[in-house]
Amino acid sequence: MTDVVRVEELYKTYDGGVTALDGVTAGFAAGSFTAVMGPSGSGKSTLLQCAAGLDRPTGGRVFLDGHELTATKDTAMTKFRRGRVGFVFQDYNLLPSLTVLQNVVLPLRLAGRRADLAAARAALAQLDLADRTDELPERLSGGQRQRAAVARALVTRPAVIFADEPTGALDLGSAREVLTLLREVVHQHGRTVVMVTHDPVAAAYADSVLFLADGRLAGSLSAPTADAVAERLAHLGDRARAAA
Amino acid sequence: MIAVALRNLRHRPGGFIATFLSAFLGAVLLMAFASLIDTASGVDAASNESLITTAGVGGGWCLVIVAFAVTSTLTLAVRRREEQIALLRRVGATGQQLRRMIVGEAVAVALIASAAAVPVGFVLGRLLVSLMKDTGQVAAAVDAAFGPIALGVGFGVTLLGSLVAGIATARRTAAPVGTKRARPLLRRIGAGLFLLTGANCAVLTATVMDGKGIDAMQTAGQAGIWASIGLALLAPELLRLVTAVLGPAVRLFGAAGELALRPQPSAVMPVLLFTGIATGTVYMQGIEDRASSGEVQAAYARDIQTLNYVVVGMIALFVAIMLVNMLIAATTHRRREFAQQRLAGATRGQVIAMVALEGALVTVTGVLGGAVASLFTVLPFGSARAGQVWPDASPLAFAVVAAIAVALTGSALVQTTRRALRGPATAAVRA
Repeated sequence: MTDVVRVEELYKTYDGGVTALDGVTAGFAAGSFTAVMGPSGSGKSTLLQCAAGLDRPTGGRVFLDGHELTATKDTAMTKFRRGRVGFVFQDYNLLPSLTVLQNVVLPLRLAGRRADLAAARAALAQLDLADRTDELPERLSGGQRQRAAVARALVTRPAVIFADEPTGALDLGSAREVLTLLREVVHQHGRTVVMVTHDPVAAAYADSVLFLADGRLAGSLSAPTADAVAERLAHLGDRARAAA
Repeated sequence: MIAVALRNLRHRPGGFIATFLSAFLGAVLLMAFASLIDTASGVDAASNESLITTAGVGGGWCLVIVAFAVTSTLTLAVRRREEQIALLRRVGATGQQLRRMIVGEAVAVALIASAAAVPVGFVLGRLLVSLMKDTGQVAAAVDAAFGPIALGVGFGVTLLGSLVAGIATARRTAAPVGTKRARPLLRRIGAGLFLLTGANCAVLTATVMDGKGIDAMQTAGQAGIWASIGLALLAPELLRLVTAVLGPAVRLFGAAGELALRPQPSAVMPVLLFTGIATGTVYMQGIEDRASSGEVQAAYARDIQTLNYVVVGMIALFVAIMLVNMLIAATTHRRREFAQQRLAGATRGQVIAMVALEGALVTVTGVLGGAVASLFTVLPFGSARAGQVWPDASPLAFAVVAAIAVALTGSALVQTTRRALRGPATAAVRA
């Protein structure tokens, strides 16, 4: 299997000297569902943002869908992301002034492509949002908003979907729905999903888990269970201390 | 809470600059015109009458504009700090305490602004008197004075205006979350009253003032101001109308155009006021100039001409402050929205294009509304002064006024949007 996303020797240092990524090399295979985990401050969100072309790493290389991300200007980076990357965020980031349907087709319209409204409606209907397509996001529950956000991430048929704590703001039931949906996206539609989370239960929905600690890779786990993930997380600190 | 208010002023002075500037400029102008009344005591009857008339006309304009400018800048200065106010509320501040803080800030700014205005108002007052001496309207022997009336009016009106504006703002802001409701009915009734007053002044100009020469300017000028304020209050409705009409054209710009179809009406008001009052005054003066050429001019005609242009300049200045302040506040408020658009795949250029198109809708609304309002001045004055309702003046002056409105809105919008787009979108969306 080829890697849809590949990062090599990624470094990221913020102004003020905080090192968020300290030489991370990783690949994410096509058609896989990977969870990236680690304690707060481990660099997992930074890794996602650099891999997705939302932020520029201080050093290292990023390959998306076989192309290296070399753009440094914001506009060029945006154009590179379009069509290659879809996003799902913790706080949905749906535009409050647009209806659900308008939000879903927005990435297409921004890319100057014709929006297939019928297809978008059908996609929303598959996510049980058929009767909410013309409402504003504020009228939807958290779970419904996040499903709409997933529909928006899928609309450009991207090579990879990045999800940053997609269940962070949801109740248990809605979280389960969204995670099941992400699994279906991978296993039934053959897409690739990379999800950052700190919740072992959410990570257990993924095919594999990548652990980060202090900006470095700290192991991985295939076919994870919530207990196994929690166990590994609890001892991430030990190993870092032992290494020091 | 007064202590918190004063600390806010000392440590976050940036938020009060616009409020301070409009209060300061207002106080300067009020003091300068009011000092003419000080000067008028104990001089000959002719000089006295000229001084009092000028003070009344000039001061009246100032009063209206100052009230408008101070209220709008103060409202925005407070709204910019919604977060701080929410924080204070969470740590236990009551609505009463928040109101006291906001009003305290307003009064403190007004006091400082008025005090700073004294020397400038003093100089400007002298300048006005010497101007009037040059035109022979005031006897050369008269000495310019700056006394209790200048200080009283300057401090009094600025403080009172800020106090009222502060109370009005505080009532709206300090209300518990969720109870904030726009009151379109009250606003529309207000708009209707202002428009009626404007129409009334216009009718008076065309009937009672017909043949009274330059004196018709008093009611004609007022008609335009009242109509401008009335139409400015109808900004949301006018903007919706313009957006509906121009929608198809804006859509041609693609996604940016579609996103631009929900513009905010707040910036329409200053554009409309500026266009309405500036156009009305400039054309009124033009009609007067043509009508009076060849006939013996009243002694104060030249003064009024100067005064009219000073008023237009003054209003332009005020409106510029209001507009820039408003756009900065509104655009900063939209940082998060812009970031969300960028995360959905919009480039910086697309966001700027959207804002520019919104700005175009706002400017078109303001300029068209202002043009209508100016007719309340121009048509009746033309009929009263020149016996001709539609002036045979060139549209060039209106084009200049409109160009200034476009330039002000455009540059302020693009600058503030650029600033709001700085840095990565992921950081802005969290802020």
